[in-house]
Amino acid sequence: MKKLLFLTVFAVFSLAVYTYSVSMQNKDLQNALSVQYAKNISDASSKLQELDIAVKKTLLFNQGEGDLQARENIWRLSSDIQQSVASLPLDQGFSTTWMNYLGRLGKFAKEGDERTEPAEFHKVMDRASENIENLSDQWSLATADMASGNLSMKDWQERLDSEKASFDWKGLSASIQQYTESDFPLTASESDALKKKQLKNIKDAPVTKEEALKKFKKLFPDVSKQVIDTTDSKPGASYPFYHIRFADQDSVGYIDITKKGGHILSFLTERPAGSGTMEMEQVRNKVELFLKDSGYTDVIFEEVRENDTAFHFVYTRLEPLHKAKVLSDTIQVKAAKQDGRILGLNAAEYIRKEKLEDQKMVRIDWETYFHKEVQISEQELVYVENMHGTQRLAYALTVTLNENGQVGTYVVLVDTETKEVIRTERQQ
Amino acid sequence: MNKLKRVVLIAFLIFVGVQLTLSNDALAFTDRGLSKGTKGDDVIELQARLQYVGFFDGKIDGVFGYQTYWALREFQEKYGMPVDGVAGSKTKKKLTSVSSYDKKFVMDNISKGREFTHYGGKPLSSQVKGGSTTPKKNTQMPPKYSEDDLKLLANAVYGESRGEPYEGQVAVAAVILNRIEHPDFPNTVGGVIFQPGAFTAVSDGQIWLTPNERAKEAVIDAMNGWDPSENAIYYFNPVTATSKWIWSRPQIKKIGLHIFCN
Repeated sequence: MKKLLFLTVFAVFSLAVYTYSVSMQNKDLQNALSVQYAKNISDASSKLQELDIAVKKTLLFNQGEGDLQARENIWRLSSDIQQSVASLPLDQGFSTTWMNYLGRLGKFAKEGDERTEPAEFHKVMDRASENIENLSDQWSLATADMASGNLSMKDWQERLDSEKASFDWKGLSASIQQYTESDFPLTASESDALKKKQLKNIKDAPVTKEEALKKFKKLFPDVSKQVIDTTDSKPGASYPFYHIRFADQDSVGYIDITKKGGHILSFLTERPAGSGTMEMEQVRNKVELFLKDSGYTDVIFEEVRENDTAFHFVYTRLEPLHKAKVLSDTIQVKAAKQDGRILGLNAAEYIRKEKLEDQKMVRIDWETYFHKEVQISEQELVYVENMHGTQRLAYALTVTLNENGQVGTYVVLVDTETKEVIRTERQQ
Repeated sequence: MNKLKRVVLIAFLIFVGVQLTLSNDALAFTDRGLSKGTKGDDVIELQARLQYVGFFDGKIDGVFGYQTYWALREFQEKYGMPVDGVAGSKTKKKLTSVSSYDKKFVMDNISKGREFTHYGGKPLSSQVKGGSTTPKKNTQMPPKYSEDDLKLLANAVYGESRGEPYEGQVAVAAVILNRIEHPDFPNTVGGVIFQPGAFTAVSDGQIWLTPNERAKEAVIDAMNGWDPSENAIYYFNPVTATSKWIWSRPQIKKIGLHIFCN
């Protein structure tokens, strides 16, 4: 009996010690996390004040070199605050609107003088200055307890919970949203990009569900016999489409077809991988025949990537005037290595079709343009989006450079009119 | 004396055996043509042979990228062949005749993740650098993504949606990639995935489960442009979602158990 009592007391005591130790560990972890979050909040707060000052500094000058440093500071600080905000457990709505505002402010400050009239730039910064001051106050109020370490993680989570929130996160999000819309309305090219994303440029007549199904069956006869269901996109979609799911023998997949015009957005099927590999050229021929039969006749092969069970091919639309590749209008095709069967088609970018304009082409002396050790291997014309979201005609040069005994390959895109480097990409 | 003869005979047979094995290796190229974008053991052999004759200084990894392309063109030019950067049967035959390939040496070092080279004219044993690294899988992705991105995304996709249809897994990967391009979110894979409260799999630790090949393939498809979510930046499971805010987002479509929204 004594032994049993001893064992029971010992077990209870051990359990109590263990529970205490685990609870202490949890507390330590929570403290460490709170400290980390407090640090990030404190960083964001001090950088917000710096940002406020940097924005005010731009108001001292007319456009030009005078405020260059301040504008660069705005870009850097807004990017830093974005990073701090992204690493904090905040209200999701607040976090996204705040990230957006900071991103747009930084971008505007960096590119502002190239895109905006000096008086307009001044006006925007003036408004931004007032808004940031307000935000700074609100931010300090919202995070005061957390920044001073007076709030546990549990309390902080409760503060974020809309039911128990002691702070009006929703109101703050709405204010920021309002500031974003007033300070940084969409530019013409951003508005164009949005329209393109929403397929506003497609003027085709709507197709019925039956017509969409007919198209699917015509293009993919080997997988379209067993359609599981066809549903409409939900009202929140940027563009209306039909979502068709199928399961045929060993293949399961989907196809999305736009309601306007019945264009394929994407098609993807999953099936067990077979053994054996077909010659890549043979698979490519099959893919190109499929593209031709499907009506994609204005595309040209761009590149291919081989992986364990499939090849991923990329095709680019060819603009007829300059025979330039339109890098944003691409089609991706996934084909099985085993037998070249089409496993996927992605034409979402292709059907958006960029609006292209003719452009002056000046001669560029590449020998003086590049360093003497750079070798030019290939040159072609492409249309590519520049940093302002405008499609520009560019020379695409594949160049090589000796890098410590190895050949480094780059594709450099140079504007044919302004000679500006639009993009430089290192190739693998 | 007989014993000596036997020893000599055995040594001779071993020598012939080794030579035969090596000459078989020399003919180990597969029939298919190799060009930029291909990968596999035959590309490993191509790189090793090009290195043997001094044209290829890059890493032998089985991926036919630009380094291999330039080396092959240089080889074709040097041997008076049509310069197209494609290893067809004639190029492979020529390369085989002027080079040697120690398959065992190359494959052993690759599987053990060792740094090594395969130059001719110096002992192979002296071409292995000390230490070892984790062998990298030679997955081919668009240049803007790295092997680390693939790994992290596959972990997230597996942790978040392993019970979902393949389409749903590609859609989850696409949502993460859409966020990277979106101004409201961090602009790196890690930044998006580890944003506090963004993904349940991060909060409950399921992100650290080992992903299967299906999840990896779903990520590769998303990286190559497929987006079954149709530009969504959020998704949620209506049965388990606790946030009321998520219901306020404009919904696009439902795949499996997830609703995808803007």
